[in-house]
Amino acid sequence: MEPLLVVEHLTKIYQRGEVLALDDISFTVNRGEFLVLIGLSGSGKSTLLRCINRLIEPTNGRIVFDGIDVTKASPRELRLIRRRMAMIFQNFNLVKRSLVMTNVLSGRLGYANPWLSALQKFPPSDVEMAMANLERVGIPEQAYKRADELSGGQQQRVGIARALMQKPDLLMADEPVSALDPATSNSVMQYIEQMNKEDGVTVITSLHFLSLARRYGTRILALKDGKIVFEGLPAEIDEAKFKEIYGEDAEEVEIR
Amino acid sequence: MAKMPKKSRSARDPLYSPRRIRPRILAFTVDWMSWGYIAYSVMYLLNNYWYHRYVDYYGTLTLPDTWGWLVVVFATLELAAISHAFGHSIGLSLFGLRLLDEEYRPPTFKQRLIRFIWWHLLPVGTIVGLVLKRQPGLFHDTRSKTRMYLIADVKDFIPATKPRKWYLTHRGAMIVALITATFWVGWLVTEIDLGAFFGRMSRSTYIWKDLVTPSFEHFILPETKLTVLGAQPIELTILGGIIESVFMALLATVIGAVLAFPLSFLGARNIMGFSPLGWMIYGVTRGFFNVFRSIESLLWAIIFAIWVGHGPFAGALALTIHTIAALGKLYSEQVEGIDPGPLEAIAATGARRWQVVRFGVIPQIIPSYLAFTLYRWDINVRMSTIIAIVGGGGIGRFLFFYKNNVGLIPNSWNQVGAVVITIVAVVWSLDYISGRVREKIT
Repeated sequence: MEPLLVVEHLTKIYQRGEVLALDDISFTVNRGEFLVLIGLSGSGKSTLLRCINRLIEPTNGRIVFDGIDVTKASPRELRLIRRRMAMIFQNFNLVKRSLVMTNVLSGRLGYANPWLSALQKFPPSDVEMAMANLERVGIPEQAYKRADELSGGQQQRVGIARALMQKPDLLMADEPVSALDPATSNSVMQYIEQMNKEDGVTVITSLHFLSLARRYGTRILALKDGKIVFEGLPAEIDEAKFKEIYGEDAEEVEIR
Repeated sequence: MAKMPKKSRSARDPLYSPRRIRPRILAFTVDWMSWGYIAYSVMYLLNNYWYHRYVDYYGTLTLPDTWGWLVVVFATLELAAISHAFGHSIGLSLFGLRLLDEEYRPPTFKQRLIRFIWWHLLPVGTIVGLVLKRQPGLFHDTRSKTRMYLIADVKDFIPATKPRKWYLTHRGAMIVALITATFWVGWLVTEIDLGAFFGRMSRSTYIWKDLVTPSFEHFILPETKLTVLGAQPIELTILGGIIESVFMALLATVIGAVLAFPLSFLGARNIMGFSPLGWMIYGVTRGFFNVFRSIESLLWAIIFAIWVGHGPFAGALALTIHTIAALGKLYSEQVEGIDPGPLEAIAATGARRWQVVRFGVIPQIIPSYLAFTLYRWDINVRMSTIIAIVGGGGIGRFLFFYKNNVGLIPNSWNQVGAVVITIVAVVWSLDYISGRVREKIT
């Protein structure tokens, strides 16, 4: 079967400071995969994820999503691509002053009638869907609270509900759990896994903890200074590989 | 820890960036200007105390003749060079430069002296460099074995030294000199005269006496003698005047805020900075804000009083224009200060650009917009009480009518007292209310 995402020779140079963030990166992601990106801070994981939906414009290279060239897409085509790839963030990126409901519904903006959405009106079917998704992530009672009244774990679950609203083919998660405590981390990761297993959403996520990567990932991609230094199964990462990715002084920390 | 680079004195010192010449030129210019400013101030003071005081009462600032200027220009140039060679001057710290020897240590006095003397041959070195098409020969660098490094380049190699007390540093002393000179000259320019302030206090006692015994005779009963520039007498009461003022301010604020709201997005970098056209609109909007904000409402009122005629309409228009520009600038700064995370998240869902603004930007800025608008209302009420001085209408009509007719109308200062007390009461209570509301919403 044709892979969902093909990245070819992707390069990103930040003009300011002339930093080479991504250096000729190529990989493919198959449908249904749970791909984990690992690497030190500043190795280019966030930049890579944001290049895929062009929140950051790549300098060079080609990204093909389900047969469509993302890098050449017009603004309209880009919107249609973006609504098929959801994203969740390290800092949740909710609109803190808006209601949880509004935040979840904003996941629907790519599909919504533009005139109605200008008045923050959504069709009843969308509202029902939002409620169902909030139930799915276990916080239906928070629907009409302001987003900043929620705890970190709950906010990330709102982020997941917002992503679910898009009915995406691909979920990109940028350090989804690094602002959360270990227990909450696991529950958030389980919701992501559930999306992957039950809805068949392909997942690309960056993670800081190798233990989480081993537990959830079906494949691991390690970045160092903008280059791919490892690509393979979680079990293949041994002591030597680990030191290569994280540096000589690093030691693996376990979180449960 | 980074390793110590080679100690060779070759032109290829890895930490020395000969091409980064701009900060060095700018730093020198800043120091030259600072010394020029000090020299100019000292000349002004000398001129004032010697010439103005003892020679000619009408003496004004006399500038040195051509030769004098040359002397000043070259003397300050020398002073700036001394600053550079012997101390850590304002310019050097502003542009992050430091003079170091080949071991990256502060140079000795002798090295500094050599550097200062050879610095005078800089033009020769530059010309030779240009003729031979090479890096300019910097004799003051090579002879003194010192170089002006960018601190960013060498910060890992500079040995730690205990900083001196700020007022003992070259930079500190220079800043003190700049501030002292500025304040001293300012004192003379503003003609501050403490003798007049204390000695002639009694001249205004009668006004104070009248002001504290206000006459509320015309609070509700109209004053019939009040005319505007010889037109038909209009019947105005203090109460009517203050109501007029408050409404002028209210309408100006509401209309101004409504118009400033859309403009504030056009003047925000993070909204418009996506294309050259966007940058152009941003620049034009910001320019509009800055120009119209720096023209005071009183000036606008003069124009509108002629355009639409004297009265509250002219005043409201003047306040509106100023409100649009002032609020527009404050609003766009709020837009620029928002959390960019949600915008990213909403853009990632496939939303249109304006939907990102609607769902990501507007919810974040609404509270501060309301707070700024209320604050602006306070300002407008205060302004509307005096805008009548140029024909803008409002309670100010009273104020200036009585002030201009002191002696012609009995008890005029008592009337002024009543107007002032009314203004204070209204402004203070509105300030208080809007302050409480602002506290609630932010």
